Amino acid sequence: MVQYNFKKITVVPPGKDFIDIILSRTQRQTPTVVHKGYAINRIRQFYMRKVRYSQQNFYEKLSTIIDEFPRLDDIHPFYGDLLHVLYNKDHYKLALGQINTARNIIAKISKDYLRLLKYGDTLYRCKCLKVAALGRMCTVVKRISPSLAYLEQIRQHMARLPSIDPNTRTVLICGYPNVGKSSFMNKVTRADVDVQPYAFTTKSLFVGHTDYKYLRYQVIDTPGILDRPFEDRNIIEMCSITALAHLRAAVLFFLDISGSCGYSIAQQAALFHSIKSLFMNKPLVIVCNKTDLQPLEGLSEDDMKLVMEMKAEAMKTITQAGGPNEEGVLLTMSTLTDDGVMAVKNAACERLLEQRVDVKMKSKKMMDCLNRFHVAVPKPRDNKERPVCIPQAVLEARANAAAKEKKKLEKDIENENGGAGVYSASLKKHYILANDEWKEDILPEILDGHNVADFLDPDILVRCEELEREEGLRLEEQAAEDAFQIDGHELTQEQKEILAQIRKKKALLIQEHRMKKRTAESRPIVPRKFDKDRKFTTDRMGRQLSSMGVDPSAAMNRARSKSRGRKRERSLSRAAADGDSMEIDGQQSNKKLRRTSRSRSRSRAPEEVIPGEGFKDSEQKKKAIKKAKASTRNRNKEARRGEADRVIPTLKPKHLFSGKRTLGKTSRR
Amino acid sequence: MASRVKFENSCEVGVFARLTNAYCLVPAGAASQGFYSVLEGELAGAVPVVRTSVAGTRIVGRLCVGNKRGLLLPHTATDQEIQHLRNSLPDEVVVKCVDERLSALGNCIACNDHVALTHPDLDKETEEVISDVLGVEVFRQTIAGNILVGSYCTFTNKGGLVHPQTSVEDLDELSTLLQVPMVAGTVNRGSEVVSAGMAVNDWTAFCGSDTTATEVSVVESVFRLRDPRAGALGSVQDFFTSGAGLLPEPRQKTRLC
Repeated sequence: MVQYNFKKITVVPPGKDFIDIILSRTQRQTPTVVHKGYAINRIRQFYMRKVRYSQQNFYEKLSTIIDEFPRLDDIHPFYGDLLHVLYNKDHYKLALGQINTARNIIAKISKDYLRLLKYGDTLYRCKCLKVAALGRMCTVVKRISPSLAYLEQIRQHMARLPSIDPNTRTVLICGYPNVGKSSFMNKVTRADVDVQPYAFTTKSLFVGHTDYKYLRYQVIDTPGILDRPFEDRNIIEMCSITALAHLRAAVLFFLDISGSCGYSIAQQAALFHSIKSLFMNKPLVIVCNKTDLQPLEGLSEDDMKLVMEMKAEAMKTITQAGGPNEEGVLLTMSTLTDDGVMAVKNAACERLLEQRVDVKMKSKKMMDCLNRFHVAVPKPRDNKERPVCIPQAVLEARANAAAKEKKKLEKDIENENGGAGVYSASLKKHYILANDEWKEDILPEILDGHNVADFLDPDILVRCEELEREEGLRLEEQAAEDAFQIDGHELTQEQKEILAQIRKKKALLIQEHRMKKRTAESRPIVPRKFDKDRKFTTDRMGRQLSSMGVDPSAAMNRARSKSRGRKRERSLSRAAADGDSMEIDGQQSNKKLRRTSRSRSRSRAPEEVIPGEGFKDSEQKKKAIKKAKASTRNRNKEARRGEADRVIPTLKPKHLFSGKRTLGKTSRR
Repeated sequence: MASRVKFENSCEVGVFARLTNAYCLVPAGAASQGFYSVLEGELAGAVPVVRTSVAGTRIVGRLCVGNKRGLLLPHTATDQEIQHLRNSLPDEVVVKCVDERLSALGNCIACNDHVALTHPDLDKETEEVISDVLGVEVFRQTIAGNILVGSYCTFTNKGGLVHPQTSVEDLDELSTLLQVPMVAGTVNRGSEVVSAGMAVNDWTAFCGSDTTATEVSVVESVFRLRDPRAGALGSVQDFFTSGAGLLPEPRQKTRLC
């Protein structure tokens, strides 16, 4: 919600003061001492700072003026028009425009002179440039001093405008001058409006506040309006017209039926009809005032007709849901005798409220609120009874609520026992158990490494009994069975011996296997043909079997059939069949064949003497090799370092890692 | 009657307490002795007021849910707590642990003695457990677009209060489902998490101490907590339509204007 408060606009100083303020501030806020002997840069900086600082100050001051004065296009149309009526929009805008131009000009001047100051070559010249810059800025401000003065006047006037909120509930009083508008205002609000027995006592809008149904209403007293063309109306009347045109308010049209104000009822009716377009969509109440001088019933027929015509018009201003409602449209009162004053106020407020509620109810936002006034009443969906559950104890307690003595609460117990922090309430106090003595029993959480709760079973007793019964049955059965059982089968002596033998053999085999297995990984696998022990031959098996009195032939046959025969050798017949060229070699032995088919290795034997090695013959070389081997044998055996091993004499030679790296050192490193 | 209470300077009493027609659970702790005493004074004699923690926390009202027939605890509840509750509650109340991923059952389930509303993503098994243990019809629902039905609505066998943004159609639908009158409203000076701000059963209600007089009067009339013998209020409908209730006419207008 925009607040329309024009009281907070900063004072606009007149042109001369404006200049003084800025210049003195520049003097106070920037350094003041400079010497010829300073570096020229420093001197330039000194003066540039002064120029820039005063420009910034001008800019800020002028900007606040531009920002703080309301823009007529942006504010509520009521205030826009009111300000236009009072101060003339064009003039106002022109003044603000001039301020804006001045601001820009000053910025430009400062920019120019700052550029010039960059080229100032002596202190004197720099100073001259600064003086010129400030001088020009001041001239610009001096030129807009009429605008400043005008704005200051406007500011003072605006600060005195009544603070009317255009959006709130408003009752607007209008009518011819001197019909009793201000008197009514004084009656219903605490605004002390001047009331005098001549026309145009009220020259501007006045605001008062009144209450109706606990709500605050602002009541606006307007200056009287004369019935004349729009263009001829003066500023005072235009204030009323502006308010009528732009405020969504309940309008009270005051009618002086006694004619003591100097205008006849016909004249007042004419005014009503000429401004009735301003009443559209507003609740309108026609108030016949001064009934103490002339009651409504006593009016002549013509006047009565005029009044009724106005009433008919007034009923048309808002379209109500329930058709035109006569109530509260035409009212009579007398501000002198206080007769009907409250009725008028109440009627106006009531109708305004109704209209505003109507508008709000139609708005979209209302839907969010309306659901809160809705009570959803269930439609029965089945015949099921869903009763309320209130314990008997509660009902009883309610029945004799009066006789209830104060219960002793936990808090009281705490206070009796040393208060908070000392007393510790037992959580087990209210346990509902079969035996009250069990309440404080301690139940272990963990027993023998098991969570007790996992084994907890509320039906444990029943189940235990069941289990016991079952166990009893089982035991009985077993006893019966035991009594019934046959003796074990007895072995003969011979069988026992054989069994012992079998077991012994089995144990031996297992042991042997284990021993083999233990060494199996490290031992090379010896092919069967090198099995010198000849432990597992068929013959041996046969011997063993026959010694045990079993015919071994079947087993031996089987073993033979299982064993693989000798591998077939490369047959000569096949080679002979290959071709004629091979035929000649057919008679040669296998060994010869192999020799001729392979090329000889090119490598020499180690003992072969190569000319230039220095050995007499291969014998000597053999001896030398043998000696060399013997000399290294011990060392190699102990894995000691020999002369062939890599040697780094000094890992970090001092001269490479110390001193400065002057020219020519890098390559040596 | 509705009372205004505070739990250790917090107004969210529904978070800390779980009130049903057969029992009331409140958190243990010396600092909340005052809160316990208020509930004890109001309820003791009628139903047990049990001090307990659930899953080691004090947010008892948000973690468990129950009615006069049973109490459902989240799977995070410890064995000792379950044993303590079994010992403290009468035998008719079945205490059961629910193996549900959404362990804040109080936020996900709202129920009275006959109907329950649940979070739409609750497991099928959980739904069965709810209907078996609590003996209720179960409906998956949302309240004004919120899936946490347990937080945004609270209802008893007499009436119910839901999230203030619930539309009129939703209200009617809920009311038909639950077979009790429903009203959209707030507690604790405009808090929309109604269930967190109050604990209520068929004959009494505890609201957070921030609750305004208007809110209290809405609560009292929708849950029909006022003494029936006083005869001041025939029905909830009367209260809201006649304007004779505590919600004064001008207050309504204030909101409208």
